[in-house]
Formats: sequence, structure tokens, C-alpha cells
Amino acid sequence: MALSKEELKDAIEEKAKKSPKPQLYIKDFYACDPDTKPRDMKNVANEMVREGRLAFWSSGSTTMYGIPSRIQNEEH
Amino acid sequence: MAKHETPLLDQLETGPWPSFVTDLKRQAETKPECWDILGILELSYKDRITHWKHGGIVGVFGYGGGIVGRYADMPKQFPGVEHFHTIRVAQPASKYYSTANLRQLMALWEKHGSGMTNFHGSTGDIILLGTRTENLEPFFWDLTHDMGQDLGGSGSNLRTPANCIGMSRCEWSCYDTEEACHHLTMTYQDEIHRPAFPYKFKFKFSGCPNDCVAAIARSDISVIGTWRDNIRIDQAAVKEYIAGNYPSNGGAHSGRDWGKFDIEKEVIALCPTNCMWMEGGELKIDDKECTRCMHCINVLPRALRPGADQGASVCVGAKAPILDGAQFSTLILPFIKVTKDNDFEELIEFIEKVWDWWMEVGKNRERVGETMQRVGLPTFLSVMGVEPIPQHIKEPRSNPYVFWKEEEVEGGFERDIREFRARHAA
Repeated sequence: MALSKEELKDAIEEKAKKSPKPQLYIKDFYACDPDTKPRDMKNVANEMVREGRLAFWSSGSTTMYGIPSRIQNEEH
Repeated sequence: MAKHETPLLDQLETGPWPSFVTDLKRQAETKPECWDILGILELSYKDRITHWKHGGIVGVFGYGGGIVGRYADMPKQFPGVEHFHTIRVAQPASKYYSTANLRQLMALWEKHGSGMTNFHGSTGDIILLGTRTENLEPFFWDLTHDMGQDLGGSGSNLRTPANCIGMSRCEWSCYDTEEACHHLTMTYQDEIHRPAFPYKFKFKFSGCPNDCVAAIARSDISVIGTWRDNIRIDQAAVKEYIAGNYPSNGGAHSGRDWGKFDIEKEVIALCPTNCMWMEGGELKIDDKECTRCMHCINVLPRALRPGADQGASVCVGAKAPILDGAQFSTLILPFIKVTKDNDFEELIEFIEKVWDWWMEVGKNRERVGETMQRVGLPTFLSVMGVEPIPQHIKEPRSNPYVFWKEEEVEGGFERDIREFRARHAA
């Protein structure tokens, strides 16, 4: 059964916090809930960016997601 | 007065062509940070390594694309390029500009950035090179509020869709490329401005198989105008070309004397499928053999025109440096109607089917053409619900492995071995 939106957000945040890498691809979040469709997953991840729980990191060709403080530490 | 010594770059100014070094020096007279571009590039030539740091978290609020972070790794030595972010501005359909619009955009970029531009990037966007993080939001506000323009796509987003000039100026366009491009741009605003995919995704719209926007070479979904009836022939105009009264190729090669026009040599013999011939003084075409190369139509534009039953072919999966080298997109839908009458419903349905599959099956940083290549065309066609046709096959008989499904075999895989052996002795 698919997680609720809030449960999914918590699972995504947890994964982004615990991951050894500060930046994750959108596909890395698919495992948080295999029942959530990819397009719904990206909508949730983008909503979390608007809320400040995640941040985008872009190379120009690819975009990744991460916890804002972790990415900022990596940048400096 | 130069801020840095640049002997290596100075050599680039000595050639016969206009030099970007000269341009940068001129720009540095009003934008001193441009001296630091020259300085850091000179150092890179000496060190044989880039001093740019790639990527970052910069952007404008609510958008996940359109800004590409760039930083120098020696900010103390080159403070002018400590931040040097790139901004991608969506180009107007067909790249129709008014000079007033261009002047306003340049004034805006002089105010908020380095003044350096690239018209246009490979995707088609206007590229504005070099600004600091704190300038991004003010620039974005002015661009959207004062000019009514928007950022383009970057990162794992749908990139700014591009189209040829289409019906606005070209009589060969088989559908309204500008309308299609505009409609899909507005439909997919979320996908353009916020990352949605495992990697970048592009679609481009060409009105006819001349493919002036190079959709087949550069886009994940190429929508290329075509027709499914016969090439329209004006036999009287054919005679005028043969008599030398009309210039071939619309006079495009008239700067030199190529001799008398020879329809056999210049048109019929160059048809890749040999589907044309002269009979009783008239040009004949076996249209079912036509591969839409457009050569005859290009050479005889007053005599030949695309057919009247018009639409588009949809090809999927182009990418420049793919596994085996550059790859054109592969024909998937030979013909669909592309029209605003049904809000491009057929095209949109296909695009979303491709996306749903690729978002699930595609690997990180894998373009849809690479995913297709990995799983094979038969699997892709099956997932898309497209019946295979001969045009899907690049070359026959090169792959001996044909995997039938049970439902495709009459009687299935079960058989009576005794009955079989009665007819075929072991």
C-alpha cells in the first residue's frame, strides 16, 4: 500500500539525511515507496524543495536533490 | 589597461577570423570582471586544467532549472569570476525577435550580468554568461515582470522546446510547428521549470522532412512533418524547369554557371529509392516508394509540393555521444495528425506514455534513446503499444534472434508431437 504524502516526505528526508552522498537522484527516492508512481514521486520531492526540506543541486545537465545544509557544506 | 598578462590568448587574435579574445577585451572596458575571464583562461592554458567548478545549488525561487551554477576555484586571484553563473532564457518560437526586445534584454543583462551572451545554446535558449548569486532574483523579476519572458530548461528537466519557422514563412510545413511548440511549452510548464526525469529531455518540431531544426539529430522526441498521399506535381512547371525558364533550387546556387538544367541527372538519378522517371514528357513518381528525402521538392519547388494529407512522423531517441557514437532518433509513429483541433491529443498521449516508461525503466543520466537501445526496439514498441512495421527495421536479416510470444503463434506453443512427427520424420 502506498505511503501517505507526509509519510513519504519523512521517508525521503530520512533517506537524504542518512545517505553517504549529499546529493541523490530522483530515482534514488523510488525505493522509499515502490507503490508511488515516478511522476508522483517527483511532485512530492519538488514540493519538499518549496518547503525548504530539500534543495536542488544542478550540474547544468543533471539535477539532484539533497538536504540543504548538507549540500551547502559540500559546496564550501 | 589589461589586468592580467595573456600572451597565450593574445595569439588567438592573430588569426584571420574574429576572435572571442578581442570581444572580451572590448567588453572588459565597461565590465572589468571580463579581465578575470581572460586571466583564468590564460591560467588554464598554462596549467592545462580547468579552473571552473561545475554545478551548484543556485536558482530562483520556485524554479529548478534555467540557472546553471558556475564558480572559479581561485576566487582570490580572480574575484570578478568568483561567481559566474549562466542563465538560460527561453527563446521565442522560431526565434522571431523584435530589435526592441533584443535591446531591452541586452540592457537588462548589462545591468545584472557580465553582458556576455551566446545566441543560441544547442537547445535553442538565449544563453547569458556570467553573473553573481545575488543578481539572480532581481534579474528574474525584471525578465518576467518587465519583459514577459521566462527562463528556459536545464538539468533533469524538459528543455525549452524548439521549432522551425513552420507555416509562418514556409509553404512546405505539413503542420503548424509554432502552434504545436507553443501549446506543448504551455502544457508542460512544470516539467520545464522543475526537474522531473532521470536526465534531460528534449522535443523539437520540424514542419517537413528537410528538418530545419535538426530534430532528428538533437531531440528525444522529434516531430517531423510529412504527408501520406502523393507528392503534388505541376507538370507545366516541370516543363518550364526542363526548358530552363525556372531556376532550379529556387535559384539558391545561381552564383555560378552549372550548365543547362538536367532533370535526369540532377533529380531522377539522385532519388535514393529510384521511384521517379519521365514518361511521355511528364514526371512520374511511384509515391509508395518515396522516403521523403525532399531532394526533388527542393530542386523543383514550383513544380513539386508535399501531398495534401499532412501530419507528422514521430521519432524517438536522438543523442549526440551515445554508446556507439551520435545517434539519430528512431521512427516510431510513421504518421499522426498534429493539430490544435484536438489540442494535440494524440501527440501528448504518446509523449506521456514515453515519459511514464522512461522514468521507471531509465537509469540515472540515461537518455531515452539509450534506454531504448538497452532494452531493444521490440520491447519499446511493445510497451508503447505500437505494431511493428517494416519501416521500424534498420536493416533486414542482421539479427537471427526472433522471439515470438505465444499469442503471436497460431495454436500457441503446445503441439501434438506424434502428429508433427507423422508429417516430419526425425
